[in-house]
Amino acid sequence: MKYLSPLIQSFDLSLEKRETADSWVGATPWLMIFVAVAIGLIGVGALYSAAHGAWQPWALMHAIRLALGLLAMAIVALLPIRFIRRFALLWWLMAIAALGMLEFFGTGKGADRWFALGGITLQPSEPAKLAVLVMLAAYFHELSADRMRQIRSYIPVLLIVFLPFAQIVLQPDLGTAVMLFLAAAVVIFVAGIPRWMVMTLMSMGLAAIPVAWSMLYAYQKNRILVFLNPDLDALGAGYQITQSKIALGSGGFVGKGYLQGSQSHLEFLPERQTDFIFTMIGEEFGFMGCMIVLGLYTLLVFLLIYYSFQMRMTFSRLVTIGVAATISFYVSINTAMVSGLLPVVGVPLPLISYGGTAMMVVFLGLGLVISAMLNEHDIHE
Amino acid sequence: MARKARQLEHMLSRRSLLLGGVQVGLTSALVGRLFYLQAIESNRYEDLSKRNRFDYQVVPPSRGRIFDIQGRLLAGNAEAYALNIVPSYTSDLYKSLQTLASLIALSPATIARLMELAENQASFLPLTIRDDLNQREVARVAVRGPELPGVSFDRVEKRIYPQGLLTGHLTGYVGRVSEDDLAAGRALPELAHLYNGKSGVERTFEPNLRGTMGQERVLVNAFGRPIKRTIETAAVAGDDMHLTIDINLQSYAMSILQRGRNKPISMDSAKVKRALAQDPELAASNDGLVFEDAVGRIVPPEAGSVIVIDVESGALKALVSAPVFDPNILSGRVRHDDWQVLVKHPRTPLLDRSIKGQYAPGSVFKMVVALAALEAGIIDTGTHFSCPGHRDLGDARFHCWKRHGHGQVNILDALEQSCDVFFYEVALKVGIEDIADMAKRFGIGQITDIMLPDEKPGLMPTKRWKQNTVGEQWTLGETVVASIGQGYVLTTPLQLAVMTARLAKGREITPHLMDGGNAKTASDLGISEASLSIVRRGMQAVVSGRYGTANQSQLDLAGIKMAGKTGTVQVRRITAEERARGITKNINRPWKFRDHALFVGYAPVEKPKYAIAVVVEHGGSGSVQAAPIARDVMTYLFEQDI
Repeated sequence: MKYLSPLIQSFDLSLEKRETADSWVGATPWLMIFVAVAIGLIGVGALYSAAHGAWQPWALMHAIRLALGLLAMAIVALLPIRFIRRFALLWWLMAIAALGMLEFFGTGKGADRWFALGGITLQPSEPAKLAVLVMLAAYFHELSADRMRQIRSYIPVLLIVFLPFAQIVLQPDLGTAVMLFLAAAVVIFVAGIPRWMVMTLMSMGLAAIPVAWSMLYAYQKNRILVFLNPDLDALGAGYQITQSKIALGSGGFVGKGYLQGSQSHLEFLPERQTDFIFTMIGEEFGFMGCMIVLGLYTLLVFLLIYYSFQMRMTFSRLVTIGVAATISFYVSINTAMVSGLLPVVGVPLPLISYGGTAMMVVFLGLGLVISAMLNEHDIHE
Repeated sequence: MARKARQLEHMLSRRSLLLGGVQVGLTSALVGRLFYLQAIESNRYEDLSKRNRFDYQVVPPSRGRIFDIQGRLLAGNAEAYALNIVPSYTSDLYKSLQTLASLIALSPATIARLMELAENQASFLPLTIRDDLNQREVARVAVRGPELPGVSFDRVEKRIYPQGLLTGHLTGYVGRVSEDDLAAGRALPELAHLYNGKSGVERTFEPNLRGTMGQERVLVNAFGRPIKRTIETAAVAGDDMHLTIDINLQSYAMSILQRGRNKPISMDSAKVKRALAQDPELAASNDGLVFEDAVGRIVPPEAGSVIVIDVESGALKALVSAPVFDPNILSGRVRHDDWQVLVKHPRTPLLDRSIKGQYAPGSVFKMVVALAALEAGIIDTGTHFSCPGHRDLGDARFHCWKRHGHGQVNILDALEQSCDVFFYEVALKVGIEDIADMAKRFGIGQITDIMLPDEKPGLMPTKRWKQNTVGEQWTLGETVVASIGQGYVLTTPLQLAVMTARLAKGREITPHLMDGGNAKTASDLGISEASLSIVRRGMQAVVSGRYGTANQSQLDLAGIKMAGKTGTVQVRRITAEERARGITKNINRPWKFRDHALFVGYAPVEKPKYAIAVVVEHGGSGSVQAAPIARDVMTYLFEQDI
């Protein structure tokens, strides 16, 4: 009952906000929104090319999702950040429940990754990531500096992170699980975990690598082995890496031109609409194109870090950092993967890769950031 | 408390900044990596990308066609379809192949081979299941297309032989290139996926017929599926071959040879069916044609060879060997059953008797002996020998074919009546060396220039030959036997035709098959016209003389007469027991113990135009079996000419 009262209060608050319309417009991070939309539009253009110059089947849908994403962002932005924080546990429980239900109702290729809801597919592991970040931020928000140093304070943290992590690993969706883990680690780190604990955890993590390896699925091990030596399987798992490198490299400095990527259009490049879309951009627009895309993402991440400095509420700062870390890791891992620096783990390029859930998560995250910025005055609540 | 909170906040900011640092670090690493790929290594990847995109494919040339002298097609190319499958497009390759096997002929062995092939190559590369589908088969597969993903068709060419059985030995056939073919240079490695000539003209003229491959640059997608084709080098079709053969004459000669002295009978008659059921040998040699012989038995067609040669040019007008095979069934995919029928056939249809059948020439060799003696000046038309029916030499007695002898005969009588004893006497005087020398001038014991593969040389024995191969001295008895073309002497029907042509012209006629080829002027044989005309007169008497052995086979044509010589070659001596039981007649002996029937001849006698050689394997008597065939074929030829 205690947690339900803010929900009722929130309606009052939203009415309250309207009175300060000027500050609302001024406080909105328009540059961040602009960068996100620009990246999303690059995605539309890239998907148009991926379909050999056609709006179907991807580009149009991507544009629609971009609009829906912006709408969702706006809705979240209008929610009071306090309301989000107070209900963090509820979001987290919902995510856990959704992941658990996948076991029974999910559909998908081999692994139960999706819900199919009358034409719409939902990938609960992506929103779950956001829920974990919000839950972590809320937890650390409540944690005093003293308790920050106590080891037992981190038992709930383990629960918050590893329950959904384990569920996602078991799906199995290693890429998303790793992303969740990394983003969570950043939030925990930034929240102020003592240095000695960081060191201990890192050494334990290193020690756990052999154990983790033995627990990987055969295809996952194979991906890593082939990554280390693509010639092992030049026509199988190594094929993707090899072809992706050829596509990127043959793009050269300025690229082969829009819609002219032979690797992509002659189907040498696998998954060019999802995980390997950056390769296609690299083939058609060359090094310059890659720099523009990476530059936009870097700008987005820096803006988020910059905004976090302006926030005074721990919850807001941690959520913003979490969103920044999520986007940063998505981009880094995806591009490192397609350029042959990392094994193929199945991480999309946010806002550009075709796929509704990932885009929705990014916009929901940005919505949280905007909400945090708009509600700075609530800090002393 | 507040201090600690501040400290924590401080740390939060510091660590957030660290995240920014991490972002910069990661991005820098990526920028470096992309710069390496897209700027430094760009050229290498561009090459790889081009190699990815373009595939060079061989464009197979059209194989040259083979025509007869009138431009009638003997070997050509028909449109066929290759059936391909891309394993990666199928859900289950084995199941797809099983489905195909229910629509078209596809043996389990082929399926096994394809499955193995699929294991060892990339799954997006197409496999060729068959390359000889006809339109009906294509339709049958195409209708089931939706169930057969990854199945496609290609237009290809298939070798066809419109004359079928008539030209089997002549054109030969084509087949898949083997390792041996490549090693022996009979096929080009770049065209090894096509067919090459395995026998006959197809094999001899393989380099001319096969043409030159072209090259095509194909823009392919990642699945190897062609998007666009550009011809780099056009394929050059093989040369067409025009043979000197007249297919109508070939056909006529074939039918006359196969019928022999027998009566055609319907395959459907009860008698034939009974005979086929009772006689396994007849059943095995049954190729859809049977006859009834003089004593009412059902027999297969005669075996042997008929060769017609133009004595002016050496052009071969007919080159017949029987029994026959259909080159169409041996070209490409050979059915095991078809092959077994040919291999188990008791009369070896795969053997081209015209150039590979080696027969003792028998009495048709007597012209050579006569010329050797005439040229040596040992005899002339005035030389007479007495034939009492045999000639004794030491303890051995050599019989004449005529039991009570021919009495006093000169060279002309001896040729006309084929007196053996006359030639025994002559040979003993001339000696084997002079005979061998004369035989050599007529091409006996040597392969000719006709260039068909695996031609047999025959054999003309000499003293040295015997010493070298048998390791024994030549005996006079062997000279006696050789004088009537028996013993060691072996000739092919083609050699007999060439010998006859040379006799008729007195020139060194060389046979050829290619129209317009070998047009070299034949040199003189170096035999005096006087000697030649004596032998020719003898040969005229064989056909036209009162006692001529072939006088039943005169041409019934105004002003055209034929000269010739019969031969009857013993395959096995008649045993005393058989003589006692009265089984002396050929027809009463098993087929393979019967004599070979031979005839050589030319016409018209005044100005020879064509020479002919006829060998009826185990046919019996040359005058009864072989001479009429020559008569009929010559008649046909001159009726065409008029």
